Amino acid sequence: MCKFGKFLLKFCGVLLLANAALFCVFFFDLDGKLLFRVVEPFLKNHYDKMERKDTLKAPYEIDKFPEYSYDS
Amino acid sequence: MRDLKHLIYFENLLQEANNELVQKAKADGKRAIGYTCYFMPEVLLDLPGCFSVRLRAPRCTSPDIATYYMSARVCHYARSLLERALEGGFNFLDAQMATETCTATCRFQEHLEQKHLDSVKDMRIIDNDDFFCSFSDVPFKNNPIAYEHFRDQLRAHVLDELKARFGIDTSDAAILAAVEQQNEVSRLINEIGDYRKLDNPTITGYEFHVIQLVSLVCPKYLILPYLRETAEEMKTREPDRKKEFRCKVVLAGSENDDPEFTKLIESCGARVVCDRYCYGSMESRQIIRIPEGEDPLLAIARHYLETSNCPRFMPQDEMRARKRRIAELAKEYKADGVIIASNKFCEYWSYERVIDTVILRRDFGLPVCSIEKEYINSASGQLRTRFQAFVESVEIKQIQEEGK
Amino acid sequence: MAKRDIKKALRDFWYGKPHSAEEGGRRLGDLHEDKTHLYKHREWRGVKDTMYYFYMIWLYNYIFMVKDVMVMGGLLNFAKGVWRYRWVGQTYLPVLHWFDRGPEGMRGEAMKASAWHYRAMVSTTIRQFQRMFAADTRLHGGKQNELYKHTIAHNETVWGGVFYPWDGEITNVPLEMIPYFVTCHVNSHTVLNYIDAVQSIGLPGDPCPMCQAEAGIFVLDDVPDYAPAVVTCNEACDASVSTSTLQDWFFDKPLFSLPMAMQFDDPLVKKYCAREIEELWKFVEQQYGIPFSWDRLVRKLELQNELQRFEWEKWEVDVKTSYYPINGVAQALYRIYQTQYGDWEIWHVTDRKVRRIMEKCVRKKINTFPQTRHRVIAWSCAPLYYSNWCTWAYNCWGLNVVINMDSLMFDMEIRTDSYEHALEDMAQYHLWAPMRRMAVGGMKHMFELWEYMEKFNCDMVAMYDQLQCKGVQGLHGLFEDEFRDRNIKAFWIPHALPDSRTVSRAEIRSLINDYMTTVMHEEPLDPSLLDFDDSMTW
Repeated sequence: MCKFGKFLLKFCGVLLLANAALFCVFFFDLDGKLLFRVVEPFLKNHYDKMERKDTLKAPYEIDKFPEYSYDS
Repeated sequence: MRDLKHLIYFENLLQEANNELVQKAKADGKRAIGYTCYFMPEVLLDLPGCFSVRLRAPRCTSPDIATYYMSARVCHYARSLLERALEGGFNFLDAQMATETCTATCRFQEHLEQKHLDSVKDMRIIDNDDFFCSFSDVPFKNNPIAYEHFRDQLRAHVLDELKARFGIDTSDAAILAAVEQQNEVSRLINEIGDYRKLDNPTITGYEFHVIQLVSLVCPKYLILPYLRETAEEMKTREPDRKKEFRCKVVLAGSENDDPEFTKLIESCGARVVCDRYCYGSMESRQIIRIPEGEDPLLAIARHYLETSNCPRFMPQDEMRARKRRIAELAKEYKADGVIIASNKFCEYWSYERVIDTVILRRDFGLPVCSIEKEYINSASGQLRTRFQAFVESVEIKQIQEEGK
Repeated sequence: MAKRDIKKALRDFWYGKPHSAEEGGRRLGDLHEDKTHLYKHREWRGVKDTMYYFYMIWLYNYIFMVKDVMVMGGLLNFAKGVWRYRWVGQTYLPVLHWFDRGPEGMRGEAMKASAWHYRAMVSTTIRQFQRMFAADTRLHGGKQNELYKHTIAHNETVWGGVFYPWDGEITNVPLEMIPYFVTCHVNSHTVLNYIDAVQSIGLPGDPCPMCQAEAGIFVLDDVPDYAPAVVTCNEACDASVSTSTLQDWFFDKPLFSLPMAMQFDDPLVKKYCAREIEELWKFVEQQYGIPFSWDRLVRKLELQNELQRFEWEKWEVDVKTSYYPINGVAQALYRIYQTQYGDWEIWHVTDRKVRRIMEKCVRKKINTFPQTRHRVIAWSCAPLYYSNWCTWAYNCWGLNVVINMDSLMFDMEIRTDSYEHALEDMAQYHLWAPMRRMAVGGMKHMFELWEYMEKFNCDMVAMYDQLQCKGVQGLHGLFEDEFRDRNIKAFWIPHALPDSRTVSRAEIRSLINDYMTTVMHEEPLDPSLLDFDDSMTW
């Protein structure tokens, strides 16, 4: 078999394996399980620990903005 | 202090919507026009031939049938009004001038409305063949476009309706006459209310609340003589030698037509010196000025939009200015603190109360008591505790400041 | 193994197990893990449909989501956004599970058409948050870059079409649609943080939780700083108005309010609303220094009209035939997303694909929902955390939600023959926004239900009962009376919009189960779906 043919064979083999692997991930909901059990708890932990500014200290200048009215 | 001559009479008038003066006006052949919201210009409902009645449901503590219709998760005020209407308490009304300004009262008024549709039955709650309900759209802004829109709405849905159905004179002359009457009421109420600005006020918040309410729920031409006498009486009323209060407060917030609530606050040691709430005098008793040559209806439309401090206004400058307005009132009335009271299920004031509580304290240095209340509150032990604690905290603050 | 069993097994493998228990059904309820509702394995829908689902829905969407992220702002911005904002990381990563829930149990053309709708919504979602991140000063060292200067923020209830005159120059991105609205459908837990946050600063628990959450994302400082100005709206209710008070405080930018009149049937209000829209345009010109373009406006409006015309064609098929290939949740979400956000290329791409599918169904008389026992109209505000309840209801009871209230908003074309006509129609369109078209302006609008029931040939009503919506609660008793007087088969679905803690999905299912057994005396198509625990699910 020529080089190109062997390469094509290998390529198809890899493609088939990838398909099979992806199909397993899809069919057994491995993506969902990973996200639910690993990724989301990790990120939630990160968000819960994040330092957030105290929004009640946000300034409130009464006269900062004008009246946006154009048709008089 | 010497008892006010007409206070008991006023208190009795407030026990029923169809009180003695309303009955007299009806007997005089005048049309009773109901409304619920400040945005419905009271003055237009007091044109010659009709009189305004701002609706209340005194002593309504269990609006059971209204709760079936409107569920338990809606403002108690709106439900109480519906309950009172279902009981027949508003059968004297000839019309309801409605606004879609807050959802709950809007739904109440829609229940009253005879719609003559196939899709939903008319409940015929008001047992009066002449009764009708007319809705006006109210702008969310206070600018020239809004004034014109509001004027057009009032003309179409208030004046034209009154004229077509009841033959009410809606000419400029009639409007100006109504304005003059309204301004006299306002002058008298303000004159009486100004006594609250004294270091030792010669009128309690409760008494003022009662007086302000009767001016809203009774025909003006019949209540005016009593108001005049009361104003005269106030000129010579002496304060108690010993102050019966420990601090003065502005009472701000949502709908409040229950003088017992003011009495409750005052029984805890505070004196309510300013009433910045729906049914209060801060908006409703400002003098209406009609510039020479201006269309009176446009001037009235502008007046009601300019004087309202309702949290319904959406422009940025308006939203922010409202907080300053309360602070200015506290200064004007020499108040030591502010009580912000929102009715349970009132969405406008729930949010407004959150921001007022922070900003008034933080930026204006005012002690704030932030509470949620029911429509009828006299028996609330919880509120009593809150108010007592607030009064003490204000006193402590004053002592600390004096010490500096 | 008996010959008959082998034949059945082969048939089930090739075509997928049949729907109903009688036929030896598929038992969809057995596919899920307890509590988490993750799949033990995804449904085998037969060779053809499973392969389609695998390649053209699951894989296709993963690939195109990555492509969208890369093209619309880049992986770096995306990563920064995920790290910074809870609503992205906690919600949008498991978006394929949202896909799974919507078309669950569906086969053939209905599965395909419904999935394309989801694809469009996902793409638009990515576009929006990527734009937010690309323009966000917090992710770019405090700098206001060119994208920031050409982005405008607005309440999600402001119709995106008001910004059409600046198409291509200014990008409008709603403040809350992605951080709040879409998250509720994809992961119902994210929004709870925001509701709790706003209540922690003193807001009572009774206002509409949508509005609470819209304020709460600001309280938790979880809104990107992506635009120099903001436009707010009063739609659809009192709480929406009040939310802008808090939003203004925390956002602290030039703010233009665009409230629409409540009494929208009144011909007098249109002129006022049109003037308000013009005021908005002047605000945009002032803030961004870019003039209004009539040509851009006309072009976008005409594209939007195309979308509306196709929607009417879809309704035509829905009303007259059993060949309508879009399920209740896809119909509802796509319609509200598309009409509220405004015209975008992906909607046209999707509509072309769906048109081909729909025409095929009509031509070949494909009954897309063959187990339909009842044609249901869903009325009032839907539970966002259980928007796919109608998928479950079809699978379990044969309840086919053919139309819903929110889809019936914005039911008009906009004239482009003159500026005056365009403005007039735009004002009308904006007045007819989601929820408000029925919920305000007079209770007669809510009672248009009977007219639509007849129009869409529905024999049953699913009446949503948003417990914290004062407008709907205020009519509860009258609806009870009318259902009774008209002898209409109706069941209530109580809920709290995005807050799944008030009424859980399990409770909603239980109420429907009770109604179908005690009132309708029916047996479930798939008993495995009657009772299951999905308390922890997204």
